[in-house]
Amino acid sequence: MNLLDIKYEKYKLQNGLEVILHSIKNIPVVASNIWYKVGSANEKRGKTGLAHFFEHMMFQGSQNVAKEMHFRFIQEAGGSLNGSTGFDRTNYYEKVPSNFLELILWLESDRMGYLLPSLNKEKLENQISVVKNERLERYDNQPYGLAWEKIIASLYPDEHPYSWPTIGFLNDISGYTLEDVINFFKKYYSPSNASLVLSGHFDPERGKELIEKYFSGLPSQNSLQNLSPIKTELSKNKLIHYEDNVNLGRIYLAWHSEKAFGKDDACLDILADILSGSKNSRLYKSLVYDNELAQDVSAFQYSGKLTGNFMIIATARPGISLKMLKDKIFEILNDLGKQGVSERELLRSKNGIKSNFIYSLQNVDSLADQLNFYNFYLDEPNSFNYDLKRYEEVNGKMLSAVTEKYLGRPYIELHILPKKVKT
Amino acid sequence: MENFRGIKPVPSEELDFIVPQIQVFKLTNGLTVYFVERHNLPILRINIISEAGSKFDPPGKKGLSNLFGMMIDEGAGEYTALQLSDEFELLGSNFDIKCTSDNIYFSLRTLKENSDKSLRLLASIITDPHLLKGDYEREQRKVLTRILQLRDDPDEVANTAFDYLLFGKDNPYAYPILGFEENVSQISIEDVKLFFENFFVPNNSALIAVGDITRPELEEKINYYFGSWKSKEINQIPGSIPDDQGLRKIHFIDRKNSVQTEIRMGHLSSKRNAYDFFPKMILNNILGGQFSSRINLNLRENKGYTYGASSNFYYYKDGAYFIVSTSVAEENTASAVKEMFNELHGIRKGVTREEVEFAKSSIIRKFPSNFETNSQIASAMSRMFIHQLPDNHFQTYVDKVRRVSVEQINQASLKNIFPDQMITVLAGDKDKLAAQFAPEVLVEINEKGIIL
Repeated sequence: MNLLDIKYEKYKLQNGLEVILHSIKNIPVVASNIWYKVGSANEKRGKTGLAHFFEHMMFQGSQNVAKEMHFRFIQEAGGSLNGSTGFDRTNYYEKVPSNFLELILWLESDRMGYLLPSLNKEKLENQISVVKNERLERYDNQPYGLAWEKIIASLYPDEHPYSWPTIGFLNDISGYTLEDVINFFKKYYSPSNASLVLSGHFDPERGKELIEKYFSGLPSQNSLQNLSPIKTELSKNKLIHYEDNVNLGRIYLAWHSEKAFGKDDACLDILADILSGSKNSRLYKSLVYDNELAQDVSAFQYSGKLTGNFMIIATARPGISLKMLKDKIFEILNDLGKQGVSERELLRSKNGIKSNFIYSLQNVDSLADQLNFYNFYLDEPNSFNYDLKRYEEVNGKMLSAVTEKYLGRPYIELHILPKKVKT
Repeated sequence: MENFRGIKPVPSEELDFIVPQIQVFKLTNGLTVYFVERHNLPILRINIISEAGSKFDPPGKKGLSNLFGMMIDEGAGEYTALQLSDEFELLGSNFDIKCTSDNIYFSLRTLKENSDKSLRLLASIITDPHLLKGDYEREQRKVLTRILQLRDDPDEVANTAFDYLLFGKDNPYAYPILGFEENVSQISIEDVKLFFENFFVPNNSALIAVGDITRPELEEKINYYFGSWKSKEINQIPGSIPDDQGLRKIHFIDRKNSVQTEIRMGHLSSKRNAYDFFPKMILNNILGGQFSSRINLNLRENKGYTYGASSNFYYYKDGAYFIVSTSVAEENTASAVKEMFNELHGIRKGVTREEVEFAKSSIIRKFPSNFETNSQIASAMSRMFIHQLPDNHFQTYVDKVRRVSVEQINQASLKNIFPDQMITVLAGDKDKLAAQFAPEVLVEINEKGIIL
């Protein structure tokens, strides 16, 4: 038995909605997960954050569901629900007891087809206020909370769709109009631009009937062109300084890297793990454990549909300069590029990744999201084994090569420093 | 549009859900074992909870139990700190330690095929930690920097000050788990060793197992690995119920240039074993326990003051409190505080039958999904251990919720929500706060919660 070979059925409705069904009889719950192929990358400057804002509007009721009732109906059923927005996509998900399957299909289809008749200015203004608070709470008032948006603003040119933050800029959020929301819906919230996954305890035949009933009558818009990648590279290193309400300085290094599921994507994930994933990882052991230059360090490969970036972040101990941290980081990267990694280091990362694949099979809601994720990026929901194989095939030679290829490029260097105390 | 869209679908057949069978037994050294057998995936979770949390930190040594938690896996048995971590990772096992006010938690997630090797590592950490001076000094420096770092976090600052004002200086729950800088710098490795000997014993701990293993296999393994963990009589510090601190004013911590105010408001409450636990739970569900509850709908969906607001009854083993928390844009602080008080007064005027039916439906129908992952089942069993709940707690749970009446909930409001006794803490910009409140109601405190 291969645990990671996930059995599913995929088909398309007349109106273009993709459907993926995965029935598994564990506890009596079922998860629904819809991905709309729209994210902040589809926005324009001046209207940044609109995709995320739109996610909020989707919880404000639709033609047959009064305001606040979307939440109430699902909570009354003992379910959980939410949504999230990224550069490339927006998702909406619910998990309910199996006997409420029809309820969530009704709710999701009503807002997919009939959101606009229920829109009004009051809802718009209320959610503008909520989202401004979300931005203040999660970014502006968080220590180091603005780092990400400062990095992407430097890493990508202004016209690049990954150059602004998903939450949007405060001024843009304040200026959304009903017309913005209506146009956004008409353009992107079409069944032909979405995929629906059901995962969990349900009868597939019954699932199909209900999906036919609720979704097949929804009108479809013309399908959209994919965004075309814009070639981006840095011609030289860029250094940015920023003062924040923090006690410790922090350095961020960011390089252009590989897009999601590109040739070197998995290798860069393993590189990140070997650099900072454990006590024995190269950067952690040196910076935090042996030399106590840093309080924490992390490295990761962030990849989207268009492109990706590789980042290293380290927080300085009191009295340690960011220059010292940077020098040490580059010394370690150089060693790694030249000498490569040991078999044991590689095996440690691979074993961790492999068992995490198995642990992740426990939730039907995360399974549903993963099926949509693979479907979106690879057009094949059952890609667990394919994905794992990408990691298993990484070897030491490849790691040295990607270290030199990507981390040898020009980079963004952001310093966040404690505000100077005025005497 | 199709006609059927106007009608909310009704649920199909009623569901059968059988709570996983929880087995409870004891080893001869007093270690209590909670076990659920599950063979859906070839994985196993083993948690150990030991009642050796920060409530046992002596005065002047706040932060001791956390340092113990950080030290216990810095080398054990035949392995150094780095080797231990390396061994776990090579097995693809996740191992983690967490300290709370009541307990230290060890959690291990392993593939079935590696369960023996993983358990052996866990057992050496529990029974044979090195606790060496060199490792200690490194961890101590790390905590000292962490304490400094947490002062940047508005959420953390507000919570720390609130806990201090709520419980008062003589109660162990008043203090942050990480402790204070001036204390942590004075704690020695000898203190940590003493803590290990005095508080870390099997008769004060539980082992929680969920996953792909049978009862005989489990018994054999844990007897083998944990049977030699020596029990010892310990002098439990009795959990004192703190007195009402009598603090009715609005306390604030000055956070210059802050764009938001963190708001905490609350008071002490009856313990987990109080007769009205279930009415309190439903009451809170109506008041602030979920998205559709009164406080969030008012502050977020109606007024737009916040991204989210909630309330909760929080239960320690030896104490409990009620809290309402949110964070709002600075200029809305006073208006938000006013609305929070309105809701607290409002709930005492009574709840409607519809609200009660909604809350009960939500809790009862959600119940099965609390048992989906091994980690969720382990948490459920942890609560049984911490609060010494009866073995049939989860079997009778739904029935107990169902039986609560509107009258019992209204009684619970009157007996558990006291707007006049709220302790309020704000973390925000002093100038912006001063413009919104009368000077006589505002009291400035420092980051520890001490009145300036």
